[in-house]
Amino acid sequence: MPAILEARDVEKAYRMGEVLVSALRGVTLEIEQGEFVAIFGPSGSGKSTLLHVLGGLDRPDKGSVHIDGVNLSTLSDAKLAEVRLNKIGFVFQFFNLLPRLTALRNVELPLTLADISEEESVRKATEMLELVGLKERVSHRPTELSGGEQQRVAIARALINDPKIVLADEPTGNLDTTTGWEIVRLMKRLNEEKGQTFVVVTHDQGVAETADRMIHLKDGLVHGVKKGSGGMQS
Amino acid sequence: MRWKSVLAMAWESMKQRRFRTSLTTLGVVIGITAIIGLASLGEGFRVIIRDEMQQGFELNVLTVMSGGLLTGVPSPFTDDDVGNISQMPGVVIATSIIQKSVGKLYNDGKNSTPLVLLAVNFTEFVQIYPDRLAVEHGIWPESVSNDTSVMGYNVEHLSEDETFANLGDNVTVALSFTSSLRGRYYENRTFNVAGTLGKSGAAGFINFDDALLIPINTARTLYNTTNSDMIFVRLADPSYSDSVAKAIEDRFGGGGEVRVLVPAAFMEQVETILNMVQIFLTAIASIALLVAGLGIMNIMTVSVMERTREIGIMKAIGAKSRTVLTMFLAEAALIGLLGGVIGVPFGYGLAQIMGQFLFRFGAEATPRRSLITGTETHPLTVVTPVLTLQWAVGAIVFAIGVSVIFGWYPARKAAKLDPVEALRYE
Repeated sequence: MPAILEARDVEKAYRMGEVLVSALRGVTLEIEQGEFVAIFGPSGSGKSTLLHVLGGLDRPDKGSVHIDGVNLSTLSDAKLAEVRLNKIGFVFQFFNLLPRLTALRNVELPLTLADISEEESVRKATEMLELVGLKERVSHRPTELSGGEQQRVAIARALINDPKIVLADEPTGNLDTTTGWEIVRLMKRLNEEKGQTFVVVTHDQGVAETADRMIHLKDGLVHGVKKGSGGMQS
Repeated sequence: MRWKSVLAMAWESMKQRRFRTSLTTLGVVIGITAIIGLASLGEGFRVIIRDEMQQGFELNVLTVMSGGLLTGVPSPFTDDDVGNISQMPGVVIATSIIQKSVGKLYNDGKNSTPLVLLAVNFTEFVQIYPDRLAVEHGIWPESVSNDTSVMGYNVEHLSEDETFANLGDNVTVALSFTSSLRGRYYENRTFNVAGTLGKSGAAGFINFDDALLIPINTARTLYNTTNSDMIFVRLADPSYSDSVAKAIEDRFGGGGEVRVLVPAAFMEQVETILNMVQIFLTAIASIALLVAGLGIMNIMTVSVMERTREIGIMKAIGAKSRTVLTMFLAEAALIGLLGGVIGVPFGYGLAQIMGQFLFRFGAEATPRRSLITGTETHPLTVVTPVLTLQWAVGAIVFAIGVSVIFGWYPARKAAKLDPVEALRYE
């Protein structure tokens, strides 16, 4: 399997008030196409920072990130935005939907940014909402949806541009256990049925166990990698 | 991102904040209302003044007089000069005039006081002022004998119900002569009244109402000359003024030997002054729009802060900084457009109301004699505002421009937000 995402010796520090915090201290990892990978670790281990750097939202201080063979550090801000638009899908802990837009318009947004015609983006977004099980909720606004439903909309939005990789930051972190597992199940299903590559950041060991591979992050370093169960506990 | 989508999103976001958008737009509406109000009143004034000027100055008529070394030389212009000027491009007709001062005019115990004796070629002269010279009684003489004359309105009408002479009367006038032997002296001559003029007013510096018109050949015999004092030139269009005036000056050596009165040039000066006044008024009104611009800047800065997270989301899913900038500028532009489109009719309405009220105080005044035309005019009671397409479109474009300029700073702030920090913003 070819590596779809590759990080080499990634270092990243950020300033908190007067103090410089080293969030990442030389992370190297590879994600292969079609994999479902969990990045697992306690809070403060640098998981979210790593995810931002992997997704081109943030730039590393040192080291390099390649997505689909492209070195992100050589790209301008505008080109980086294009990579995020076309090759990456983000799913966040707090869903991050635009509150004034309907579910359909939220899912359509990346297509609008990519200049896809309105007709086609409505068709694709409707299909995608159907795929995540929200056929009946297309014209609801985020405030009219439950947490689980909002996260499904966010997943539909992440998938709409056929990204190479979906990066999910604590996708179950703001949901109750049952709903959280539904979301994990949905992502696993999309991984199996569509071969969609997922990288899921979580501090929940149970969620991490379902992955093909678990990357254990601690104090900004990869502490170990082990195989996950690859399947769901019931 | 397509323009349509950008505008649609901007519109959506404005609708979301309806109250705030309305207040911000109101600022622009007030600014544009002030600008258009003053501008259309100004245009209304311009129309009135232009009309009055055009009545007073026959823009198509140039007057050629002696100047420079020729000043004081009697009758410097030959018929050749007139013939030559007639051939110039843009000239319809040129005609010779002899102008003399006169003493009293007598008829059967009554007397009247013309201010000026104009000796003209009647056939040609009426073509110089085809619209101005209207005969009240009698005829405009086409074929003349030596003693044919036409009287101006004030010469004939001594008072409201008393006239000086009837048609066919022989009236006696004291003509003034100068000779080296006798100095200045008067001699009586008799003329037959062929017609009288209605109120004709003044053109340039000659008031036809106070004139006695006689044939030029008679004057030439009386004053022993074959020349003339002045040449009146009618142009096909006022736009020929400069070229014809230049050609005439060149013919006489170009050294100031002749003076050519160009009424169009005077009109231009008046137009320039009107323009300056209007620019000044509009500039003052524009301050209101600038204040509205500050309002937009203020509201948008708040809006960018409130929407920080939203901007972070947009950037995370792949919006470029430029796209974010465009989205915010589109909102500013829409506010400007909306304010402009509403403000233009409001401003025109305001001008209508002001036009009615501001000048009502003049309504009680008695008719006055216009300084320019010498005729009685009615006092300025109402100014009809004039809204030109240029002003309307210009004001809307200005509103959009001001909005975009003031929206630039907050829009730029939004575009420059760091996506990670924006996403973290609560």
